[in-house]
Amino acid sequence: MYCRNHGKNAGKALKTDGCGPFSGLSRFSVLVLVSIVALGVSTPARAAVPTFTVGWSVYAGWNPYFYMAKSGILKKWADKYGIVIKVQRFDYAASLDAFVGKNIDACTMTNMEALDMPAAAGIDSTALIVGDYSNGNDAVLARNNLTLAQLPGKHIMLVQKTVSEYLLERAMDLNGLGAQIPQLKLVNTSDSDLVGAFLGNQSNQVAVTWKPLVSQILAQGGNVKPLFDSSKIPGEIMDLLVVRTDVLARPDGVKFAKAITGAWYETVGQLAGGQAAAIKGSADASGDSVASYKDQLKTTYLFSSAKSADDFADSPNIKQKMELVRQFCFRHQLLGQNISSVNDVAIRYPDGSVQGKQDRVRFRFDSSYMKMAEQGKL
Amino acid sequence: MASIAVVGQFADIQGRPRRLWTQSLSWVLFLVGIFIYTQFSIVRHKENPEDRVVPSVSQLYHGIRSAVLEPAEEDDPLDDNATLAQRLTHSMLAKDTMSSAGRFFAAILLLIPAILIGLHMAVFPYAEALCLRFILFFDKIVALSLLPILFIAFGIGDWAKVMLMVIGVAPTLMLDTYNLAKAVPREQVVKAFTLKSSNLDVAYRVVLKQILPQIINSVRLNLKPLALFLFAGEMIVSSDGLAYRIGIMRRHMGMDIIIPYILWVAVLLFGLDALLKFANRRLHPWA
Repeated sequence: MYCRNHGKNAGKALKTDGCGPFSGLSRFSVLVLVSIVALGVSTPARAAVPTFTVGWSVYAGWNPYFYMAKSGILKKWADKYGIVIKVQRFDYAASLDAFVGKNIDACTMTNMEALDMPAAAGIDSTALIVGDYSNGNDAVLARNNLTLAQLPGKHIMLVQKTVSEYLLERAMDLNGLGAQIPQLKLVNTSDSDLVGAFLGNQSNQVAVTWKPLVSQILAQGGNVKPLFDSSKIPGEIMDLLVVRTDVLARPDGVKFAKAITGAWYETVGQLAGGQAAAIKGSADASGDSVASYKDQLKTTYLFSSAKSADDFADSPNIKQKMELVRQFCFRHQLLGQNISSVNDVAIRYPDGSVQGKQDRVRFRFDSSYMKMAEQGKL
Repeated sequence: MASIAVVGQFADIQGRPRRLWTQSLSWVLFLVGIFIYTQFSIVRHKENPEDRVVPSVSQLYHGIRSAVLEPAEEDDPLDDNATLAQRLTHSMLAKDTMSSAGRFFAAILLLIPAILIGLHMAVFPYAEALCLRFILFFDKIVALSLLPILFIAFGIGDWAKVMLMVIGVAPTLMLDTYNLAKAVPREQVVKAFTLKSSNLDVAYRVVLKQILPQIINSVRLNLKPLALFLFAGEMIVSSDGLAYRIGIMRRHMGMDIIIPYILWVAVLLFGLDALLKFANRRLHPWA
């Protein structure tokens, strides 16, 4: 529609005679504009409630986050501190990407990825909750009664540069075969296809993976046996809840840390107490049957009380374990191509000691919230 | 009014830009892309100097340097006195490129029979009756979903990846060849027979000869699906290759390697495409 007396009407743009800048756009669009403005005015009032997002991925030790959110435990704790906490499920790799991209505030990950993803990318992060450690969940599997000494030269299927490769190297090391690690022929295999590809062909003799994939392989592959599992390296593969340190520095971030820690220990308390709803709810998180989930829990050392987790985080033991892990990460260039020393990605422990350079602390263990939970101060 | 005339020239269908204009305009979007990237990178590095998601120029330089001159992490390190040529040929990039290229060309070779099947389907009615419906159907199968079966049938070595590429691209190429061959005027076929051609003469020397330039163009368009299937295969199970490295680097946000790798793949595909285009023009100057 062409408006001839445009010049005259310019000052009365919203006049409804169909002319002026809004002519042809109809009243509807004006309405939309007005409502957008109205929304813009009203959102600050709602945004006053700080909102935090926790990313989690499927794993025996992290499934409880799903139950925690679904059962209302999380909401109860968030309400107590006047905040909103959202729980978002991701694929593992995607959750790490989102955390490094600062799209989420907290994320579940192992101690190894905490070092080589956020910390190595310069995102100062803090392990708030030490949830569990793998106590048999990860395993080296082989056909035909192979021994570890026979592994060099055989194709080994695993997801490379993850705890699987770490476990394999530790297995070799602990059995005096450390010198042969360079001769291992690794085949990087996506976890989604590993079971099918391994079982489908008898010539694939070795695989390293985690539960429930381990259980699936053992159930179907008649001549497959576990050679080594993570129960022989207790405490080295930890499953953590990691928060960005800058979030913890804010007052509402502290509220978030308290709320999520409180909710976590209430949840694991139910799990450890054998409450059927908690176990069923956590099993549902990954679509597992209760029996299968219970089987996974058997090989997961869940710190069922804040005290046990706190004792573990405060012990000198944790430093030795992290030393092994960080040397592995450095050896495999997981800390970055340009990092010249393992000490460039330093770790700070609850007692204040630092592993690496003082001025390059990128990853911290903070047991203070677990302590508060232990003392009932949350 | 002079300015309006200039603007008018840019919007003129009949406009004939000078060489200088066409040359410089063709680089504008590249420069815009580079500019946006660097801005984004600078902003992110201001916030976090160790950012790995959008690597800075110096991070990229180090990444490229180590990829081009240093052997892969799983290989033995080179002597300190290795020559530049030795460094280049034993580098991570060279190793990955060679293994991916091997799979790629194996798949392209296996596409030649596919082209011939398409030709025969178009020319020989009994072949058409036998194959057409099946291939029309087979073409609609999402090849990626067959991967688990391929791994079982062909093992976890190179064959599964090559077969994935072939299964993914061959039906399309067959149908394209079929359509092109069908479009050859019937009169030509009849004429060739009156000139004492045999069946095979008609198929290969009349029909194939004149649709070959279009078939090569079709292969050019299919380079990207081929690369896509190769990447999918390599990301799922492999121990070397360009996509393998990208998958490994993703585990620790090694974008300083990933971005150069992606650009390298683009350059390789661009070069291969240009080569096919050049060959096509040389072989078929009439097309």
